[in-house]
Amino acid sequence: MHKIEVDAEVDLLEENRRLAEENRRILRERGVTTINVMGAIGSGKTLLIEKTVKSLKDFKVGAILGDVIAKDDYKRVARHGVRAIPLNTGKECHLDAHLVHHALEDFDLNGLDVLFIENVGNLICPVDFDLGEDYRVVMVSVTEGDDVVSKHPEIFRLADVIIINKVALADAVEADVEKMFNDAKRLNPKAKIIKMDLKKDVGFDEWMEWLRCALQSREGLLR
Amino acid sequence: MSFAQVLLENVVKVAEQHGAKRVKSIQIAVGNMLMLNPEQLRFCFDVISRGTIAEDANLEIEVVKAKIRCMICGKDFDEFVGVCDECGGIVTVEGGKDMILKKVEMEV
Repeated sequence: MHKIEVDAEVDLLEENRRLAEENRRILRERGVTTINVMGAIGSGKTLLIEKTVKSLKDFKVGAILGDVIAKDDYKRVARHGVRAIPLNTGKECHLDAHLVHHALEDFDLNGLDVLFIENVGNLICPVDFDLGEDYRVVMVSVTEGDDVVSKHPEIFRLADVIIINKVALADAVEADVEKMFNDAKRLNPKAKIIKMDLKKDVGFDEWMEWLRCALQSREGLLR
Repeated sequence: MSFAQVLLENVVKVAEQHGAKRVKSIQIAVGNMLMLNPEQLRFCFDVISRGTIAEDANLEIEVVKAKIRCMICGKDFDEFVGVCDECGGIVTVEGGKDMILKKVEMEV
């Protein structure tokens, strides 16, 4: 027996990147705009998707609902009559391109315009796992504390849209919405930042305006 | 844990390709923007490598820093900031997101 040393030079994250690109190719070929909805637990991700699918009557919408073990989010979205499937990760705290790849095999993409992928509620792990999306939406709420943005810089840095939800509760929980907004702006000057309260219909129009714009620019690109 | 898992899978693959009996030492380079805690990665790797060819292997972790630079004035930063404190320009990040298996030392 003797020792050898091998220069491996293996990119360990290559596999996820490769599969994410594969997902992106499949989705774009079908003309689907894909949105990865990330955010904290209980921040309002599922409600955002529910309200959005109800408002987007002129588009064909689908949703993949990621969760550790439960199917509650899936049931909430599926009852609105859109194509939806649950995607359980087991113990994993994030979705990855491999899981989404298999989910897409079972998903009827024909005629679909937009696909929402709700990630597992977590502001840390999902960041480094590209799923093949076109846009990243990151949602937090004032009840998580007004330092939640500055404590998780990486997820906000890479977001296209940052939503600060439950602003109507800010006074009750003594959260400074302006601080959260400015933290988001500082970390990501290019992102669209929306102050929202889904239950009070605050900021929802602004979100829909952004979304319609994103969907129309895609249609323009495909034409 | 997913990072430890993908590391183990690749180490075992390399070891098997070379007909190794035991993996002695592993060198990896991890980008700092992945925000991995080396101690946690080491702990996870120790746990999942038990009973495999890589059990008790020494894991050397080199942290590689991203280039964080202002697009306007070119000032470099150690940690990520969105906006440059000198000129107000947008700060960009290059690299720091890779995890590379560099070397595997084994007994054959």
